[in-house]
Amino acid sequence: MTAENRISLSRHENKLTKSVKMYLRDIKGVIGLFILLVFIVMAIFAPVIAPYSPDTMTDDVLQSPSLNHLFGTDHLGRDLFSRVIFGTRISLSVGFVAAGLSAIIGVFIGSFSGYYGGATDDIISKVIDTFLMIPAFFLILIIVSIFGSNIMYIMLVIGLTTWPRNARLMRAQALSIKEKTFITVARSTGESNMRILFGHVIPNGIFPVIANSALQMGGAILTEASLSFIGLGDPNLTSWGKLIYQGRPYMTYAPWTIVIPGIFVVLAVLAFSFIGDGLQFTFNPKNKGEK
Amino acid sequence: MPLLQMKNVDINYRMKKNEVKAVRDFTLDINERDIVGIIGESGSGKSTLAHGLMRILPRNGYMKASEIKLNNKDILNISDEEFRELRWIEMSIVFQKAMSALSPVHKIFDQMYDTILAHKPQVSRNEAEEKLSKLLEIVNLPKKTLNMYPHELSGGMMQRVMISLGLIFNPKLVILDEVTTALDVITQGQLLDEIKRLVNEFKLTVMMITHDVGVVNEVCTKIAILYAGELLEYGNVKDIIFEPFNPYTQALVESHPDLNPEGSTLKGIPGILPDLINPPESCIFYDRCKYRKDICKNGKPELQDYKGRKVKCFRVGELHG
Amino acid sequence: MDKNILEVKNLKKYFPVRKMGKKQYVKAVDDLNFSIREGEIFGVLGESGCGKSTLGRVINRLDFEQSGDITFLNNVISGKSYKSDKNFRKKMQMIFQNPYDSFDPKMLIYKSIELPMKINDVNSDAGSRINEIVETMNKAKLTPAESLLTRYPHELSGGQLQRISIIRSMLLKPKFIIADECVSMLDVSVRAGVLNLLLTFQEELNSAMLFITHDISVATYICNRIMVLYAGKIMEIAESKDILDNPLHPYTRALVSYSPIISKEEKKRFRITGEVVTPIDPPPGCRFASRCPMAKDICKKEEPILKEIGKNRKAACHFV
Repeated sequence: MTAENRISLSRHENKLTKSVKMYLRDIKGVIGLFILLVFIVMAIFAPVIAPYSPDTMTDDVLQSPSLNHLFGTDHLGRDLFSRVIFGTRISLSVGFVAAGLSAIIGVFIGSFSGYYGGATDDIISKVIDTFLMIPAFFLILIIVSIFGSNIMYIMLVIGLTTWPRNARLMRAQALSIKEKTFITVARSTGESNMRILFGHVIPNGIFPVIANSALQMGGAILTEASLSFIGLGDPNLTSWGKLIYQGRPYMTYAPWTIVIPGIFVVLAVLAFSFIGDGLQFTFNPKNKGEK
Repeated sequence: MPLLQMKNVDINYRMKKNEVKAVRDFTLDINERDIVGIIGESGSGKSTLAHGLMRILPRNGYMKASEIKLNNKDILNISDEEFRELRWIEMSIVFQKAMSALSPVHKIFDQMYDTILAHKPQVSRNEAEEKLSKLLEIVNLPKKTLNMYPHELSGGMMQRVMISLGLIFNPKLVILDEVTTALDVITQGQLLDEIKRLVNEFKLTVMMITHDVGVVNEVCTKIAILYAGELLEYGNVKDIIFEPFNPYTQALVESHPDLNPEGSTLKGIPGILPDLINPPESCIFYDRCKYRKDICKNGKPELQDYKGRKVKCFRVGELHG
Repeated sequence: MDKNILEVKNLKKYFPVRKMGKKQYVKAVDDLNFSIREGEIFGVLGESGCGKSTLGRVINRLDFEQSGDITFLNNVISGKSYKSDKNFRKKMQMIFQNPYDSFDPKMLIYKSIELPMKINDVNSDAGSRINEIVETMNKAKLTPAESLLTRYPHELSGGQLQRISIIRSMLLKPKFIIADECVSMLDVSVRAGVLNLLLTFQEELNSAMLFITHDISVATYICNRIMVLYAGKIMEIAESKDILDNPLHPYTRALVSYSPIISKEEKKRFRITGEVVTPIDPPPGCRFASRCPMAKDICKKEEPILKEIGKNRKAACHFV
């Protein structure tokens, strides 16, 4: 019994540290991770960090950035710094939920399709291809115009339209993994298909999906910002995109109202794309040899 | 008169933080018309040696030596340009992976003609065709093979094409790098017969890199035993296989079921290959040797001439006196 | 009279291929009949494409036959899939060719060993499972066991991995082992360790073994009897000494004469021409007829039956 505990702890740590070290060697990845951490801290501690309530209106409308109002104020006199900080919550959640949903669906469908093969695979592949052809943004526009703009719908639709890429990645992985001898060994020692799928195929093939999910998080944030920018964002919530939308009429004489939230969107997308690249670098077997 | 003289050859691979010393202090003269089997297991450096000689090491590999001479001509301190002029013309190499050496979308003839042009641009298409069909005939392939694509050939045919490609310019030295490894038993045997015949017909000197003592036994006259980057024994094939002097050679030979006395348990070599990043200062086989004594720990044994062969072992006189 | 542990009757396995729009079949395993006795090591010898691996997979129920009967321990197992039948999987285990590929790269070695035990209820208590694994590792001289068990597959050598995969199978205490080219990827000097471990366990468990290989030296070292396959058909079955020293079938004679067996005596080739052909809708007659130096007209018309020739010996040739 003791052996088992000693075994798993020391070794798992070891492998994790190795991967972390590997990741930290990629400078872009480190920058991306740093930005993301700052954003997460901002989102979690928003009430503590923000100097004002994001919704309190004052008479100081459209003030340029100053020590009092770090990012200036908007057309209703609200502190833009506080609004950006609270907006982080919305934008990040959109990224995580939408990309998470996309990853889960993609992994299940992709691994199932690749592992079972045959007619199952043919049918699922056709479905994946069909979904890939759907122009996601317009589908979202339609859904939003029919059901109204609710952040839940937006996240759901982004998730439900971006999974095919993950499914393709996972399917390709499953196709190659199932040819490995250790899968045959698992079959010949009596493991059930479900057990093989969840115990071997997915753990061994999920990394491309994880790396892609980081990219998709950035993408989801951008999509939500675009929707908000054209006025189709959730009316009850203030995301970064919404801030840009609200600042738009005043952009000629109060450019900070759109530039600052814009910078945040760009930073987020950049951070996720760096992280995605960093993860790909870490899990690329070609880099494994140089320890 | 030795055709190929190698003195103190070292080949290293640069890694991120350190270097793998894949071949160390390799000294050997290969005489004209010798068929030398270079035997070694994985990690012995046998292929590295061949690639080093042909200057086709991977990027992170480099070779040092005090002398390498082909036909009494220095081929170590010449430029890549000069080397290119004698590669394939004076020495050629045939690889194990014929499939990946040939492009799948071009006909055999075009690929062989390309090789000719690369070295002798003045050869015309007709001349080449004549020459190549003659060559193919020599390796027992029909002339129509020239108009086929690589995927239409079987593994054995493909290796014949590769061998004939290596013989285009009548080189003196041919290196065969695991040419029969991927083949089936009978195909391998047929190819070995072919090689034996070609060696006589073309008066070739051959360096045959392989892991299979049985293959060496069939075609070679000399055998060189490589272990962890060092040459441990060199001499006539039959002498060494049936009466090995070096303990590693002995253990290797005894691992073959054919040479195992009937009814007794097959012996392998326990233990693992030494670290090639920091190779031990002792005899390289010390850790796994069953004849080791304290003297074997102190320094490296020299490759000495002993009873008509070359052996590297401190205790050879004592054990085989 | 020894009891048979495995009986194979008229076993056929065809793979469909499309050639020029026509549906044809690769007759990978075509009408095999043989039986393996309890405790016996039975070799299957042949070149690539002879159907030896397919045979192993069909018997292990990883692939399914076209037709024919397989009886294992007095149960008919053909026609059933045994997907996760614990009792069946425990009794029949398979060792594969590529040791580097036989372990889940994301799993610690001891997890990979333990999982089959857990699934097949070999030892229900986690603690005693670990103890049994460590004990067996020590017995196989894979030491220090604890350290090896807590590594990942890529940190071990091929020889170590192959011995561990043998241990993984043997912990299920199988009655029948299928070893598919289990030493062909290993260096000569580590083969002995793997083969001897296989023999130790086979003896200890008194199990029978189907040993698939292309290497006649290895086959004669380890097997009691050898069956020679060519293009999906049985050419000859005999005791392994007879195969090596006195092969009767022309194909076996060629195979033995072309093998790079090391011996002091000069040996003569039993010359044949051509190369192995995939048996896609093969013509009638003997499969080997097109390459056989002894072939006569009858060989191309009539398929030779596998007939008894002396004690423990069968061959399929018109002229034997």
